[in-house]
Amino acid sequence: MMTEEQTIKRAFDNIPGSGAAYNLIDFIAGWSRKYSIWPIHFVTGCCSPEFMQVSGSRFDMERLGVLPFASVRQCDCIMVVGVVSRKMALRVKYLYDQMGDPKYVVSVGACPTGKGPFHDSYAVVAVDDYVPVDIYIPGCPPRPEAIIHGMMLLQEKIKKERRIGVKD
Amino acid sequence: MREPMIEPDVMRISWGPQHPMSGQTRVLLDVDGEKVHRIIADLGFTHRGIEKILENRSFFSGIIPVDRMAMVDTANMSIGYVTAIEKAAGLEVPERAKWIRTLVCEMSRINSHLYAFGLQAESTGYFPAVFLWTTVDREVLLDLFEELTGARWSFNHFFPGGVHHDLPDGFADKVLKAVKYLRGRFKDYWDAMVENPLFENRCDGVAILKPKDALKLGATGPVLRGSGIDIDMRREEPYDAYGDLEWEVITEDACDVMARTKVRYHEIGQALNIMEQIAQSIPDGPVKGRVNAFMRVPEGEYISRVEAGRGELGFHLFTNGTGNPYRVKINSPTLRNMYVFERLAELNEVFVADIPVIINSIDPWYLDSDR
Amino acid sequence: MSKISAADFVKAFQKAHPEAVKSIESTDPRRADLVVNNESFIDAAKSLRDNFGLLMPVSGGAIDYPDDNRIQMIYYLMHPGSRFMLTYRVDLNRDEPKLPSLTQVWDAMSFHEREAHEMFGIEFDGHPNMIPFLLPPDWKGGHPLLKDFKGEGQQ
Repeated sequence: MMTEEQTIKRAFDNIPGSGAAYNLIDFIAGWSRKYSIWPIHFVTGCCSPEFMQVSGSRFDMERLGVLPFASVRQCDCIMVVGVVSRKMALRVKYLYDQMGDPKYVVSVGACPTGKGPFHDSYAVVAVDDYVPVDIYIPGCPPRPEAIIHGMMLLQEKIKKERRIGVKD
Repeated sequence: MREPMIEPDVMRISWGPQHPMSGQTRVLLDVDGEKVHRIIADLGFTHRGIEKILENRSFFSGIIPVDRMAMVDTANMSIGYVTAIEKAAGLEVPERAKWIRTLVCEMSRINSHLYAFGLQAESTGYFPAVFLWTTVDREVLLDLFEELTGARWSFNHFFPGGVHHDLPDGFADKVLKAVKYLRGRFKDYWDAMVENPLFENRCDGVAILKPKDALKLGATGPVLRGSGIDIDMRREEPYDAYGDLEWEVITEDACDVMARTKVRYHEIGQALNIMEQIAQSIPDGPVKGRVNAFMRVPEGEYISRVEAGRGELGFHLFTNGTGNPYRVKINSPTLRNMYVFERLAELNEVFVADIPVIINSIDPWYLDSDR
Repeated sequence: MSKISAADFVKAFQKAHPEAVKSIESTDPRRADLVVNNESFIDAAKSLRDNFGLLMPVSGGAIDYPDDNRIQMIYYLMHPGSRFMLTYRVDLNRDEPKLPSLTQVWDAMSFHEREAHEMFGIEFDGHPNMIPFLLPPDWKGGHPLLKDFKGEGQQ
């Protein structure tokens, strides 16, 4: 049973110049995906006021296409914003499993990255023990410009992904 | 979670941590049609073990986790801990430092009440615009914080014996300008929220908490003052400069959601008055007392109670003569108010559609109930 | 709401319940500290609520003294008329800390007793709803706020 990508590859294999065609398809897909990253509206800890300021009117995150959305199945990113306790980490894992491919995880703040100011606490975990993280944004809390920079780095990463075409 | 058994003919909804309006908690609602029979709160999603961490930190570095107990209201959290340490060590704070602390605390209080306003408007379902207005107005205050302390949210400005930074040149004028701008905006909030017939329809007569119940269940903050009882820690146990300034305790008698909104609204007005008085007549002098980052405190117990944006915050500090505290017990305002929230379904007839409105009138911030 | 100063409250309570009181004092006009004997714990609490007007429950917590082999459970109460705070304390044996639940007198102590049970291991008889509160439901042993807590499951 072939995946969709393998089917397209097989169909195009015999046409000369197919390598360039794959790269073109990837380029268009990547360009449209990177300008529409929808994170789940899910804050886990104390960096949440900064997340709200980033979605607010001065440091508008939505001009990059980043719109916090409520339903898990229609999102493609989890922004883990703030301290992750043991009880909450299980929910982060459930949400990650429920999202559809392709999906990304952004760890916002010093706490999900490596426990932050609560490094010696019995109840705090680092989120990359539970889900694979793509982008780490340090800070306590990170400035809104830093969060936007992190999302732009994620956009660069998405742009460079090659899902169908030849890996160069 | 071994929850209480569900009754027959009732559906249990798990309103979980991933929901735009729930915050970082899970609330179980037992509903029968539209009517809510029972509310069970499942807290602990942001438990960080702050009370245990503080036993391993020196007094100065313990202020860092305490600030992060409530990021929207950070000055009021750390003033409680710092006041307890100062009582324990017998430290004197210079006069100018007290006035600067009061200024920063009132700015934090406005920050916290604006957050509550924004969420309350958004929870009624038709006013995300007011939520975005509050982000803009908070930016005005955050710019002032950044100029004074270097950080926007959790700035660790206070330490036992004074404050870290004095006011920069021209800061008092910037404060007066910000006060003038915010006063203009508050007319807009009054028209959009309090005197708006749509908002009144959602909020009048909803979730009534009579004064006798408020006392018995241990409510605090605007929830208690919205039921007519005038208890405010800034007046009962004056700390810093609150005893020297002119301000009033705000109470409302209607006991419903609208009364609590009005209490928060008028408290912002009082905070603006206090900021204006401080900016106009702050005394001169030093701002740091004797600084000893590795201070030791004599053995004993000290309780300090301050008024945070959400209610009364208490720190019970046990010391044993070393450089770390022996135990810190934190009395959180949100934990008291969440118990009131659980009992509201028994005191009133509550519908499912009212739940976000009610929970945002209680104004919980789960990071300080879970510590 | 009646008004009674903290110092007058101390004198009146000492006179009314001399056998229940282990120690009572008021070091500050806004504070009073009362340590009771375990047998008269509930009756003294009912008297505080009904006769002395201490209607408002504030909080509850505990503190571990491993050298004395005791855990002291502290309840914080407030008098709404005079606004002073009373710390109502009782000493428990550290090896087997048990106490009747104070929810029969002040309902709102429910959350605080659940937390004290998780953090210190105190058993409360008659608590209506003792289920996990702040710690995750699969927490394997160990009471975090005891002084000899090393980590989860490592005792």
